[in-house]
Amino acid sequence: MGEVKGKKTSTPNETSVEEIPGVITTTASAISDFLKKTKAQDLINWGRKNSMWFMVQPMGCCGVEMIAMGCAHYDTDRFGIIPRNSPRQADVMLISGYVTKKYLPALKRLWEQMPSPKWVIAIGDCSISGGPFYESYSTVQNIDEIFPIDVFVPGCPPRPEAMLQGFVELQEKIKAKKDLGTEY
Amino acid sequence: MDVTEIFNSLTGTFPEAISEAAVESKIRARAYVDKEKVKEVCQYLKDSLQFDHLCVVCGVDYIKRNEFEVVYHIASYNHPVVLMLKAILPRENPEIESIVSVYWNANWYERETYELYGIVFKNHPNLKPLILPEEMLGEWPLRKDYEGFPNKTARNLV
Repeated sequence: MGEVKGKKTSTPNETSVEEIPGVITTTASAISDFLKKTKAQDLINWGRKNSMWFMVQPMGCCGVEMIAMGCAHYDTDRFGIIPRNSPRQADVMLISGYVTKKYLPALKRLWEQMPSPKWVIAIGDCSISGGPFYESYSTVQNIDEIFPIDVFVPGCPPRPEAMLQGFVELQEKIKAKKDLGTEY
Repeated sequence: MDVTEIFNSLTGTFPEAISEAAVESKIRARAYVDKEKVKEVCQYLKDSLQFDHLCVVCGVDYIKRNEFEVVYHIASYNHPVVLMLKAILPRENPEIESIVSVYWNANWYERETYELYGIVFKNHPNLKPLILPEEMLGEWPLRKDYEGFPNKTARNLV
């Protein structure tokens, strides 16, 4: 845990760091860790919660509702929720349907391609508990052990308003610093 | 060409290979076929009886009889008769001749039957799983004694 130090003291452990008079030396991760303990994180979280771009990756019939949510009628842009086609530009992954054993590696790869901070929302009964595919031989059960899911939106499929409510709940979690996507 | 004409032609040409043949209605007929003669019967149906459309190939597991059945539905573009052919296989080491060389669209049907039941189609050009992941090969999930269903693992999360 490196903190920003005003004056370096020559302790035996830090002999490798070259001391320059009048210059503060630190690292980017040290600044980041320091800011998490200050009010600056509130400002950062305010920015993050108001620009949650989600990845358009429809997996089942809930994916159709997800696309409807991102279109003009429900107008998620007013919350800063914008559909993005690339995982590199996305902040939120929506698991919108059953995850088959064959699709799970691809889903993990998409998740790894998303830059941090990132969040997951499980949408629909299929991703929560299996839904109609509860006893299927080819689906993955207990998806919350694989991804850190912040919000569950039940429904089969949930209305676009319900998904929007899920995003609002995630915004509240980020505002309260209780989300799983950031390490505080 | 009506259904009785087709029926008589089929049973007359293959008296040993065809058994329990019956006419169900004007447009439906069914028969059991010897598993060694499936390809020859299909070739005859296609060449002589205008059965040029294979609708589906699927498998059925009769675990009490210790048998598999492979069911072929074969129809035509020229006459209204749909013929249902069934072949009985033993549950241990189920093997049957592939009919891809007769009906090319049997390729994916046979691959699906293979991955779900473990029925091996001999001389199939590319016998590998169609939809299931490779690591599930050998589980044969549609057999009646399959026990890999996850009905005791999922938790209700809401």
